[in-house]
Amino acid sequence: MTRITLENLGRDFGEFTALANMDLTIADGEFVALLGPSGCGKSTTMNMIAGMLEPSHGEIRFDGRNMNGVPMAKRGVGFVFQNYAIFTHMSVRDNLAYGLKAQGVGRAEIARRVGEIAELLQLSPLLDRRAAGLSVNILQRLAIGRSAVVEPSIFLMDEPLSNVDAAFRAVMRSELKGLQRQFKQTMVYVTHDQLEAMTMADRIAVMDHGKLLQVGTPLEVYNHPADTFVARFIGAPGMNLLPGRVTGGDGAPVIDLGAAGHSGALRLEQTGDILFGFRPEEVVPDANGPLAMQVTAAERIGPRIILHLAAGDHRAKVVLDGETPAPQQGETFRFSVPERSVRLFDAQTERAL
Amino acid sequence: MTQPIAAPASATPEADTSEEKRLGLWLTLPAQLLVLFIALFPICMQIYISLTDWSPLDGIPWYRAYELWIGLLNYVDLAGDPRFWSALWRTCIVMAICVPVQFFLGLGLAILFVDDFPGKRVLYSTLLVPMMVVPAVAGYMFFMLFQSGGPVNDLLSLFAGRPVTIAWLSDPDLALFAVIVSDIWQWTPLMFLILLAGMVSVPQDQQMAAVLLGASWTRRFFTIVLPRMKTIIIIAIAIRVIENFKVFDNFYIMTGGGPGVATETISIYIYKVTQQELIWGYVAAIALAILIVLSIVSALAINKMKGAK
Repeated sequence: MTRITLENLGRDFGEFTALANMDLTIADGEFVALLGPSGCGKSTTMNMIAGMLEPSHGEIRFDGRNMNGVPMAKRGVGFVFQNYAIFTHMSVRDNLAYGLKAQGVGRAEIARRVGEIAELLQLSPLLDRRAAGLSVNILQRLAIGRSAVVEPSIFLMDEPLSNVDAAFRAVMRSELKGLQRQFKQTMVYVTHDQLEAMTMADRIAVMDHGKLLQVGTPLEVYNHPADTFVARFIGAPGMNLLPGRVTGGDGAPVIDLGAAGHSGALRLEQTGDILFGFRPEEVVPDANGPLAMQVTAAERIGPRIILHLAAGDHRAKVVLDGETPAPQQGETFRFSVPERSVRLFDAQTERAL
Repeated sequence: MTQPIAAPASATPEADTSEEKRLGLWLTLPAQLLVLFIALFPICMQIYISLTDWSPLDGIPWYRAYELWIGLLNYVDLAGDPRFWSALWRTCIVMAICVPVQFFLGLGLAILFVDDFPGKRVLYSTLLVPMMVVPAVAGYMFFMLFQSGGPVNDLLSLFAGRPVTIAWLSDPDLALFAVIVSDIWQWTPLMFLILLAGMVSVPQDQQMAAVLLGASWTRRFFTIVLPRMKTIIIIAIAIRVIENFKVFDNFYIMTGGGPGVATETISIYIYKVTQQELIWGYVAAIALAILIVLSIVSALAINKMKGAK
């Protein structure tokens, strides 16, 4: 159990900056997900925490101790690889015992600890099986067990669910979260799948193009995205962002959205250009609503309907539940967005206002 | 053709009906027979000749060799032929020295070359040169090197501080040493190449995982790298064992099998019996015996490989 501090951390590969000026403190026992699209720097960050990669600048501290230059074997870090990196030529037992043997732990002690961890992870009946050919959820538990048995203070996981089919991912997610609760280790989890981050993490660090954009609890990140990237990236579909212009003077300012109508009355201090954001799920169908857009497509997905809307240059998506009478393709959909659901972003900096 | 299609075509292997299989058999049969003929004809011919006393000088074509039928007499002779047994024994000694030395040298080089270092590419290409030299040329090279007035003795003189004139190729023990050196020089690169390929293919993340679990280099090498290379090690050793059994060119050129029979391997013995004594029935019997030995070696290697999977 260790507190991880990243201070002004960065890594360049030649001309390319994989990560720049990352500041993040991960509390003892916390589960933090590094979330972002491919190439956003999340794996670079993790590899630097593990010691596989040296930072170009900045510092990594575990409980205040500077880790720069400390070899990875000495960091006390457990690492679960994307493909688990199980030693397939060995038995399950030898996989679990590998770290303990490497550290020169006595035979009896190894047997006891391997037995314990196997019991905890329900691997006991498989101890003498060869690791090759085991199913993927067993491999995942084995990979976690192999790292956990040496009692690392930090657990790092690099997209451990990306090789698993969608149906199974839900099972593995809850299993992983349960295991983390049992081990109580500080956990850093790299993923590009927001569902994994939202369901498992205590806090999410959203990254893009080598920059940390926002850190917060899943709800904070969902409800109060710090900028337009986070707003679009989190949520499925992501937040709608319509460029508009504040009009209407001091009395009742509204955001004029051109062909789509206007925002309805808002309490606003800003003037000029602005980005008007709202979640597709928080739209209220309203025959007298101030917004009107044309339905270009309607997808019925089980209990939900996703409407694709267009008006002039504006595009938006709206999610309605299956009960709501939904307009057909080609019809005009009138709606309003409740004021508490409105998120505004600066038109230039794209930061939240 | 008039029957309606009963079931939709399925993509599963069960779709191969026995009828389709039979058609496939007929279509591929000519090719299979040809391959079988090419592979088996020389062996059958060899078995046939080995049961006769035929020689090209007898004036009858080989297919009428049955006129000189002697049954298993060639094999009886072979069993009691001390020169055959000593050649076989010598071949085994050469193999028992060459293969391990080549293996450990090749493995050592592979360990050095698995990581990057400056000048690696140039050095790598240089190391592979011996393998590309024609064995006969390599034979002449080492023949010159080991002359009593040759560079090897010159080098030794330099260290000894007085003229050294060892007659490498005319002393029975030293001659065997010299030919073994030439074989090691020529074929260590092949071993190195195969082993390096095997070492590079050991998954990087498994080694990384072992590092993170605190394993030292030695432990990783013996618990991850070597076990994962098992198949390729067996292949490399099997290739060299079989090749060593057939070693001929450089040995023949350096010493002609001499002095006496001191460096006479099984291939050189067969060559001499064929070319000098022209008793082809006997040669066929020897060749068959060797074939059987090598088949056993290959079978053992394949068996080991299955175990390694």
